[in-house]
Parts: sequence; structure tokens; C-alpha cells
Amino acid sequence: MTICRRDLIKAGLAAGAAISIPSVLRAQIAPTAARTVRMVMDDLATFDPTVTTATITGNHGLAIYDTLFALDSKLIAQPQMVGKWSVSGDKRTYTFQLRDGLGWHDDTPVTAADCVASIRRWGQVPSGGKLIAERAKDISEQDDRTFIISLKEPMGILLEILAGAVTPVLYIMREKDASLAATEQVTANIGSGPFKFNEALAKPGASFTYDRNEKYIPRHEPTDGFAGGKVVNVDRVIWENIADQQTALAALQSGEVDFVQKPAADLFPAIKSDPNLQLQALNKAGDVYFMRMNCLEKPFDNVKARQAMLHLIDQEAVMRTAFAQEYIRPVTSFFGNQSPYSNDENTEWYKKGGDPEKAKQLLSEAGYAGETVVILQHANWADGNNIEQFLAATLRKIGLHVELVPCDAAAFNERRKSRSWSIFMTAESDYERSTLASNPTLFANGEEGWYGWPKSDKYEALRARWANVETLEERQALAREMQRIQWDIVGTVLLGSVASPIAHRKTLTGLIEMPSLTAMWNMQKSPT
Amino acid sequence: MAAYILRRLVSAIAVMAMVGIFVFLLLRLAPGDPAAIIAGDKAAPQVIAAIRQQLGLNEPIPVQFVHWLFSVLGGDFGTSLFSRRPVLELISLRLEPTISISILTIILSVTIGVTFGILAAWRAGGPVDRILTAFATLGFSVPVFVVGFFLIYLFAIRIHWLPVQGYVSIDNGPGPWFVHLILPTLALSLPYIAFIARVTRASMLAVLSEDYMRTAAAKGASSYAMLFHHALKNAGVPILTVIGISFAYLISGVVITETVFNVPGIGRLVVDALNNRDYPIIQGVLILVSGLYVLINLVVDLSYNLVDPRIRY
Repeated sequence: MTICRRDLIKAGLAAGAAISIPSVLRAQIAPTAARTVRMVMDDLATFDPTVTTATITGNHGLAIYDTLFALDSKLIAQPQMVGKWSVSGDKRTYTFQLRDGLGWHDDTPVTAADCVASIRRWGQVPSGGKLIAERAKDISEQDDRTFIISLKEPMGILLEILAGAVTPVLYIMREKDASLAATEQVTANIGSGPFKFNEALAKPGASFTYDRNEKYIPRHEPTDGFAGGKVVNVDRVIWENIADQQTALAALQSGEVDFVQKPAADLFPAIKSDPNLQLQALNKAGDVYFMRMNCLEKPFDNVKARQAMLHLIDQEAVMRTAFAQEYIRPVTSFFGNQSPYSNDENTEWYKKGGDPEKAKQLLSEAGYAGETVVILQHANWADGNNIEQFLAATLRKIGLHVELVPCDAAAFNERRKSRSWSIFMTAESDYERSTLASNPTLFANGEEGWYGWPKSDKYEALRARWANVETLEERQALAREMQRIQWDIVGTVLLGSVASPIAHRKTLTGLIEMPSLTAMWNMQKSPT
Repeated sequence: MAAYILRRLVSAIAVMAMVGIFVFLLLRLAPGDPAAIIAGDKAAPQVIAAIRQQLGLNEPIPVQFVHWLFSVLGGDFGTSLFSRRPVLELISLRLEPTISISILTIILSVTIGVTFGILAAWRAGGPVDRILTAFATLGFSVPVFVVGFFLIYLFAIRIHWLPVQGYVSIDNGPGPWFVHLILPTLALSLPYIAFIARVTRASMLAVLSEDYMRTAAAKGASSYAMLFHHALKNAGVPILTVIGISFAYLISGVVITETVFNVPGIGRLVVDALNNRDYPIIQGVLILVSGLYVLINLVVDLSYNLVDPRIRY
């Protein structure tokens, strides 16, 4: 065999090309730049944080808008856009003055008129704002930087409501945006917050880009929860909507993204075994899972049947169907585990493992006659779906005739309105279960209220007093009374609590640990 | 020929109109309220009702239909109920990734599938045929998402040659564009390679047993000439049909691949819109895809003439 010079050159070139393929390919893969953070988040479908209660829109709002007050890490309201504030001697008139240096992303200054318009718009939707609107005698600007809220009667929790992190949050918008009806979407995405929304790079359904607002002047205080200085340490944050969890994890492992908001529990072992990744619970108090029963239709129009559900549920078993053991814990207080109003009043129903015999007895006393119990089953929410299947099996064991009705999100909402259902389940943050003034899941106002429609005039009378009470001790005493009533009427059955972690690369640090919403300031990214 | 094309174009418009009417009515009759999704989980019924009013969803269905019809006739497919952006703008953002994957997939599938099919037919019954048949069975049997995750694990996680996910527009350079499409194209091509290979093999086998092929062999024609000059041309019509159907199906059916590789294409746009009941987007996409489907079939029909001059229009 002979080797000619040409063949040798050809073979050499071919080998060189083959060897260089990996580096050529790698060169085309854009790594996440050191000052760009890529976060896998839910799909941001609606931009206006006043129109919707969707958490992802609340997160969008937190990035681009600012708030008058904000909650610190102890969930206490602290001034944010407000520089100075005062309250009159009769505690009915609050005067707020904006701090220096506040400006919109379109380079116009933030004025008191913007704040007044935003509060009024927020007051149109059921929220803390509606309560303020109902009790306000006057909300008006005094000068460019000063405005007042004048009340018909003192309202001890005004600042707490203004700072609330339950969607819809009071984000301050430009007056011309806030003059739209609260049900008409603002699409301008111009705020005064620490990030600017990059319209040019927005790809609805795929990705959204937030650029650091270089003109934003943070407060001087250190970051503390959502309060304090909102110091942005990166140039750009990109939200990626990766529908498949496995793909999101692979992207995190390969360094294409830095943060995954909701990793599935069955991926935790893979995340823990990767030395570059970390699980971190940002919402330490966790989320409370609960089910609502239809108090207007059989069989749960009978309070005994609802009490049967309270005794039946084995919280640990329910939560284990969807979450890792180390992140779950039982919750017995109507107001969650970690709020200042959490208490043990009337919680004798709780028994580890549940009490099926007691449940059977109560069901018998309720006169259950074999009516079909319709459980709405989330088709697009894996954790919810697992829990609902387990609930159905649990209910069948005590003799209930159960039908699971799978629904996607749109059909779920439609069916829930129709009242032709018996049970649905959902979740909210532990913190939200302390927001009595604004959270409809804590109301008991019957057919005027949220789905399930439990009714107790006595409870509602106590809730009406809630806003007036001045001290924490008085509110805690009220909370005990209210909880006693709630565990008697049983509009809600708690299923357990979970502090679901987010997953991130270890190069991403400084994440703010707060409930309900995800803040993007303060975080830092190191190159390796 | 011109009259034939005109007739087909008119029929394309008729198909698009029927799809439009059908989809419009079907969506309105299906359960699900976009206003409830916009308002969020904890929204009060009065807020949902106000949003419905704002979006014009409380108007009678015939009135909504007439409004929509006149808008479409004027070239306006409406705006998304959620993002409030024009539907055509949203579709145009998503069309490039889907078309890119589809074209690369069809090029790869045709190149490999036809080659495999010819080889298998040429060596029918032999080891090559058996190996290729086994490959085709595998291609049909293994779901795209399994292949996708295997490729991701191998090329992105283990050896870091290729990105896991995402799409980079060709405006940012052909290099990044191509690199982001390699894995989705490979995963998606497998069943199409198998499909085209099987059809090519069957079609070639039928032609290779014809008398004129025996005559060509008796006259001393080379294998190359027999396969490519005589057999392939005569076996071309069914192969072209399959390629056309595959391409049309690709445009509308790449949703699993788009999901696994996080490619923001038309498939995911429709799935998201369906989940949200974003009526204008679903209607717009389905009308345009149906039109595209008809046009691709027209192109395929016209291309028959290239391989079989006996076919006239």
C-alpha cells in the first residue's frame, strides 16, 4: 500500500475538520453572559397587574413598577416610593409625600396625581384597594409630590394594605394608564421600577426581557424583603417560558438558564446530585393547599358533610402524592402556619393520619344519600392532578360516590362558575392566608363571595372589625374568634403546606426570600 | 395549467373559509372563558363579567362572527385577547422557527429516506434491506420526545456540543441558527426518514419488477442507470406525494418537538392559545395553516409533471 502526498493532505484536512467540529459548534452556543440572568418562569400572558390576580403578572409588576410601601422580611410595611408620611390626630387623614428622584421609564417624573389615579383604579377591583375605596372620603393630590387619603373612620391596617403583596398589588402607574377602567388592560408596560420592560425583545409565549433601569434611584436602606433599596446588580434578566420540566432542568444543568421557578419534585434528586445546582425555598413559610366544597349544593350544603371532610383528610398522605417529604408540613390554623394570626383555636379535628371513622359518622349524620361528589381535576397542573386523584380515592373509601372531571384551566374556571361541582382544590401562599382584608378565600360572605360560597354573618361582622383594629394583640384575639367560626362552618379544608424550592445555579446568589412574589433586584451572578 | 391552478387557488380560499367558520363556532361552543383566565384564579365574578364585556365576548355569537369576518376580509385577523398584540404579528414571530425546522427536517428526511429506500429495494431480502427495515421500524416506534431527550442528554449535557433548547433567529447569523436546530431536526426527522424510506422501497420494488427494467438489465445498463434513470423516475409520484404530505404535516404538527426543545414555533403558539381560549390566535393560525396545506398540496400536484410527463393539467 502506498500513501501519496495528496491523500495525506486530504486525510489531514478531513481529520482537522472533524476534530474542530465540537469547538465550532460550542462557539455557536451563546452562554448566559455574566450580567444577564435567565429565569424559567410561567408564561406571562397578561401584562396589567391590576386586571389579573395571576402571580406571574404580579412578578412582572414587581420588576417594572414601584410601590408606595413594601413589606420587609418580617412582613411589616415600610415606605418605598413614599419619603415622608403622617397621620392626623383623629387617625382619619394620611398624608404621603413622594421621595426624591422618582421617574418613569419614559423620563417623565412620577407625581402625586399618578399615585391617586393608581389607587383609585386599584380600588375598582376586589382587593385591599376596594376596602380603601369604600372607606375613603377623599383621595387627592395636594401638590406634585403630596397626596392624601382621608377616611370616614380610622383604619388601622391602611399601610399594611398599601404594602400588600397579594395580587392584585397596588403598583403605581402613570396617570394616563391608571385612568383606564380596571378591567381594561394597560399594555404600555412603562413603570418607575428598577427594571425596564424591553418591548423590542418581547416574544409573547416564549421570552420577555427586562433591562436594568439605570436611572432608578434606590432607597438608602439595605434590601429587606420587598422593602429597602432595590439595587439591581445585573444588566438584564430574561424570562424564558420552557413548557417541559425536563428540558428546563437540562437547560439549568448546561448553564443555558440560571433559575427555574417551579422544578417538579421528581427532579429534585437530579438537582441535588449536580454540584453546580442548588434548591432554595424562597417562600420559607410555604404554600397552603386547600379544598373548597360547594356549600350550595348537595351533599356539602350540609355542614356535617363538610365537617366529615375536615376529619377525613390525612394531610401528610395528601401532600406526599405531589411533594417531597422534607418540604411538607401540616397546617391547622385557618390563617396558615407562620402569620402573626396563626393560632390553635378549635383545631381538635386535626389527627395525624386523618379519622375516617369520625368522617363516616358525620357523613351518616348529614344524611348522605349517595349523591355524586364531583371533583374538578386540573388537567394542566401535575401536582394538583395527583392530589385530586388521591382525594377521590380517599373519599371513595368512606363510601362517597365520586366523579373526577378533568378540565384544562379555561374549562376549570368555567365549570367552577356554574356551581355544578362539589370540590375543587387550589393553593396560595401562607402569607396570603393572613391578608384578611383583601383575600376572598378568607371571606364567608355566601353567594357574593368566592367559589364555594360559605356563609357566616357572625364571621363577616368580625372581619369588618378587622380593618379598624389598631394593635396586633387585638387582631390576634379577633383571629382566634374567626378561626373558631371557620372550623365550625368548614368552608375550606386545609390539605397541608409545602415550602417548594426553586432551583438555581450556584453562581446566582442574593435571591430575595419572600412569599407570593419573586423579586429580581439584589441578585448577583458570578461568572463561574 | 393556468386554469387548473386558478381552480385550486379558489378551492384553497373555500377551504380556508370553511375552516374559519368551523373553528369560530367550535371555539365558542367549547367550555372555557378567556375572561376568567385573564382575571386570574381569585377574581370576582363581576370582574370577569366586566372583562368579557370589554372584550366583546358578551355579544351574540352571530354578531361576533360578522365582526370577525369583516375584519378578516380586510386583512385584520384581530388582536390577542391576552397580550393585545395583532394576531398576524404573533404568527409572524412564530412562523420562522417552525418553517426552519420543517425545511431542515424535510431536507434531511428526503435525502436519507430516499437513499435508504433505494438501497433497501436494490438489495431486497438481503442484510442491508433487513437493517434498513429494522431502522425504519425503530423510527416509527420510538416517540419523538424520547429521541429528543436522548439527544439532549448526549449532545448537550454529556459532551456539550449543542444547546439544550431555544431558537436563535437567522438574523443573528446562520451559525447560531443552525446549531440550535440540529437536535430538533434530528429528533423530528427520524419518523419521517422511516416513512419516506418505506414508501420509496415499496414504490421502487414495484417498478424494479417491471418488464422494462428486465430489458434494461438485459441490455447491460449499469445498476446506477437502472436505479436512478429508470426506476426512481417511475417510482417518483408516490414518493413526491409522501414528501408533500410530510411537509404539510410538519408545519402544523411539530408541537412535541417544539416543546421538548423549547422552540417558540406555531405549534406551541396554538397550544398556549387553546389553553387560554385566545380565540383570535387559534382562528388566525388554523386559517393560515389550512391555506398553507392546500398550497403545498398544489405544489406537489404540479411537481408530478416533472417526474411523469404523462400527467397533464
